[in-house]
Amino acid sequence: MSISPVPMEATMPETASCSEGPRRFGYLRGVQWRIDLGILPSSPSSSIDDLRLVAANSRRRYAALRRQLLIDPQVLKNGSCSPDVVMDNPLSQNPDSMWGRFFRNAELERMVDQDLTRLYPEHGSYFQTPGCQGMLRRILLLWCLRHPVYGYRQGMHELLAPLLYVLHIDLELLSEVRKVYEDHFTDIIDGFSFHENDWTHKFDFKKLPEYMEDCNGSESPVKINSLGELEPKIQTIVLLSDAYGTEGELGVVLSEKFLEHDAHCMFDALMNGTGGAVAMAEFFSPSPFGGSHTMFPPIIESSAALYHLLSIIDSSLHSHLVELGVEPQYFALRWLRVLFGREFALEDLLVIWDEIFAYENTKFNKPGTNDAESNVGVLNSSRGALIAAFAVSMILQLRSSLLATENATSCLQRLLNFPVDVDLLKLLAKAKSLQALAVEAINSTPLLILPRLHGRRNAGFTKAHIPSLDLTSPRTTLNMAHESYWEERWRVLHMEEERKQGSAASAEKQVPNRKKGWSERVRLRLSRTKCDPFRSKATFRKKNETDEGRKNIGGDVDFGHKIPAEVEEQDVKDTNFSTSETRCSSGCPGNEENSSNISDLSTPVRGTNDYVNMSGRSSVASNFSAEENDTDSVNFEPLQANPESSPLPVSELDPDDDTLNSTQNYHSVIKQAAGIKERKLLSDKFQLFWKFGRNINEGTSDRAAVSEDAIACDSGSDCNNVAGSSIVNGCNSTSGISKAEIIDQNLIFSLSDLGQSMLENIQVIESVFQQDPDQMGSLENCKNAIVGEGHITAMAALEELRKISNLLSEM
Amino acid sequence: MVLVLALGDLHVPHRAADLPPKFKSMLVPGKIQHVICTGNLCVKEVHDYLKTVCPDLHIALGEYDEETRYPETKTLTIGQFKLGVGHGHQVIPWGDLDSLAMLQRQLDVDILVTGHTHQFTAYKHEAGVVINPGSATGSYSSINYDVNPSFVLMDIDGLRVVVYVYELIDGEVKVDKIDFKKTTASST
Repeated sequence: MSISPVPMEATMPETASCSEGPRRFGYLRGVQWRIDLGILPSSPSSSIDDLRLVAANSRRRYAALRRQLLIDPQVLKNGSCSPDVVMDNPLSQNPDSMWGRFFRNAELERMVDQDLTRLYPEHGSYFQTPGCQGMLRRILLLWCLRHPVYGYRQGMHELLAPLLYVLHIDLELLSEVRKVYEDHFTDIIDGFSFHENDWTHKFDFKKLPEYMEDCNGSESPVKINSLGELEPKIQTIVLLSDAYGTEGELGVVLSEKFLEHDAHCMFDALMNGTGGAVAMAEFFSPSPFGGSHTMFPPIIESSAALYHLLSIIDSSLHSHLVELGVEPQYFALRWLRVLFGREFALEDLLVIWDEIFAYENTKFNKPGTNDAESNVGVLNSSRGALIAAFAVSMILQLRSSLLATENATSCLQRLLNFPVDVDLLKLLAKAKSLQALAVEAINSTPLLILPRLHGRRNAGFTKAHIPSLDLTSPRTTLNMAHESYWEERWRVLHMEEERKQGSAASAEKQVPNRKKGWSERVRLRLSRTKCDPFRSKATFRKKNETDEGRKNIGGDVDFGHKIPAEVEEQDVKDTNFSTSETRCSSGCPGNEENSSNISDLSTPVRGTNDYVNMSGRSSVASNFSAEENDTDSVNFEPLQANPESSPLPVSELDPDDDTLNSTQNYHSVIKQAAGIKERKLLSDKFQLFWKFGRNINEGTSDRAAVSEDAIACDSGSDCNNVAGSSIVNGCNSTSGISKAEIIDQNLIFSLSDLGQSMLENIQVIESVFQQDPDQMGSLENCKNAIVGEGHITAMAALEELRKISNLLSEM
Repeated sequence: MVLVLALGDLHVPHRAADLPPKFKSMLVPGKIQHVICTGNLCVKEVHDYLKTVCPDLHIALGEYDEETRYPETKTLTIGQFKLGVGHGHQVIPWGDLDSLAMLQRQLDVDILVTGHTHQFTAYKHEAGVVINPGSATGSYSSINYDVNPSFVLMDIDGLRVVVYVYELIDGEVKVDKIDFKKTTASST
């Protein structure tokens, strides 16, 4: 075993950035990790003696375990009497028989050996030595025998190997220090040196005088007389290896003899989580986590949480990946199960694990969380959040190459062959910065995301379910659409009735939307505040949201703007957007109204054709809807005065046809200078729309998005997410796009009417644009934004609209 | 911890149809390292079946075997023990210990396994052990009509061998165990 240890200084990167405070034994990874993992007492005031005590106890336990479990049936024969030969014969079918256990162990051992022979071949000089292999084998066997639930799974050996390695490194450090400060490790009494680890004392009288001379004329540069004079680090090292301290030799913290015991303890702690949330064993478990209410194995849940976090942080990348059908567990399985062990070289991995272990592993307790909202259990701690954040930062590292590929296979290839030459510190820094976000995300990962995997729970998520690249996404969304679709329908109808009884000024159509965005957007509009990084993730369940939104809006009708509302079946998601926000009619009455309009709209589209048409219409808006439902990055900060945006003339697919009405309303809205981003509404995610919109409006929406962003910025929101991503709600572009997602079968609407109204809306918008310079001060903001690029893009969008509406009118 | 299965005199298909199901369920592949068969299988199918239990198969020629190319006697070394196999119909009187001991000395083995009598016996004498695993299917013999199916499993570990004998008596599997220890290590 002679890996040259990394020089002392370099071994301890200054991880002072760790918020948990200075690492007490940063230079002795083995000790530090044992503390972090919970094996050794972690309070800063615990003395070396305390450490020794705890170490000794854990070693005793391991020794007893070893004796008990790795027993040879033959040995027993000599001593004890095997009571019943019928039970205890080698061919016995009885699982309890000694022989049965023996055979099971043999089987386990065979599996372990298979993996061990292939462990870290590049560091073979350490890992492939028989001593090390023997230790690894015993540790793994013992652990697996103690936890028959998990058995042995490939990957466990890779978790164990670095642990053993760091212990080994510590010992090498110790021996180096010993060489330099030899005096402190050996008691020199009467001229004899009593080396602590000598099994025999060599009383070689003849050598005595030479030795003494050596001592005196020692060329060792360091000649220190008392322990106290040593550097604190060296002092600690000496103390940790003192054989005469508490518990004697068993308590020597840095001990070669007990390497196996310590490694086993660390491994056990890592796998069990020592009471915290992140228990690596869970990642190997095929069965759902205890407290989880989704019926998925923890690894699947965690992968979903990763994607959830990614969608918060970078929704365009997320949606891109989802569209391509790259399920998170394809790569996350390997990443999480061996804690990134396969993606990085051993030395780098140690740095990463330093960081990961530095974070606390205690579970977060969300008071008041009822089980139904149980979050991802296994990542539910700071440590878990950092792990998730690190994984996401890895994905972000590959962002450009992932976005460039249009092929799920090559995406996966890139993800699974993580580049070797990455700036690790940068990655870590990014991960840390994302950690807080991750904590939030994990706490609020809606269970609902997981249903997407519904029915495909098997470990082998077969290719069959991977949507083909381009159009499959619509299909998958279609699947999801189904369940919500009918509900939506019902609700829509229900609302329709209510509405009719109520007195909506204008027929409102509700556009069922898969994408959550809508209600969210509405809210956003209203709140016009901070840029909220937690965009609603459009998860499929927006039911609650929708309801809420609807309620909100319910009353206000007077717009007449038919803003295509995305009926949200889907939950928008984060708790961040509380309904209160939605209601906030703060100063944006207009907005509200608009929103309400939108929400109320509900006209189920009849037939696919309609859908398609509609989608065509919604075009831009839908473009982005194409994005997955999940990501919705709508962050629209409601603009203060956005006349252009405001008129999102919605499809008035309204039999009553308030076209005129809406136009009028529209004007009024403009005047109100409410900062609404009506456009946003349009994100409808109809899957069909998507198809259309995507192809047609890709460019448009992008541009629109840009303008949208520009506007948003103007209004002071800093949220600029997804700049340029098509996600940007199509709404933008749809200024004037009437997204009529009509769902109401009962309503008779004519497409031509639709087209008509669209045209009208377009006209209105155009006029607005032209009027732009004339607008009042309240519109100044918009003005700035609108002019120039925004203007052009909006015009372009309008053109598109025009085309579409022509199409429709022909029908 | 080497497990060696010794059986024989199955007489399939002439005198018996197959091994008793209880025996078959115990003979799971993967546990046993060697199989020694005293002969009289008689057909190839039995040979194939035994091969599935363990690929290392040693068979001696019995008088009813249809495959005549098996050797009359065979010796092999497992661990510290030398084992010899023969069918036993050549040794007269059948089943006589002294005569078998002669054969054992002739083959120079520590453990001699023979059959033909369809009766389980295990003798120890100063030079070694003589084992007769009986008939695994319980087929009748010319001297005995009422035969219990039986076979033997030897656990060879260093200088010690533990012989487990499995007998099917009244439909139940009975197991017995005998310990033998070798006094001196054999020179290979």
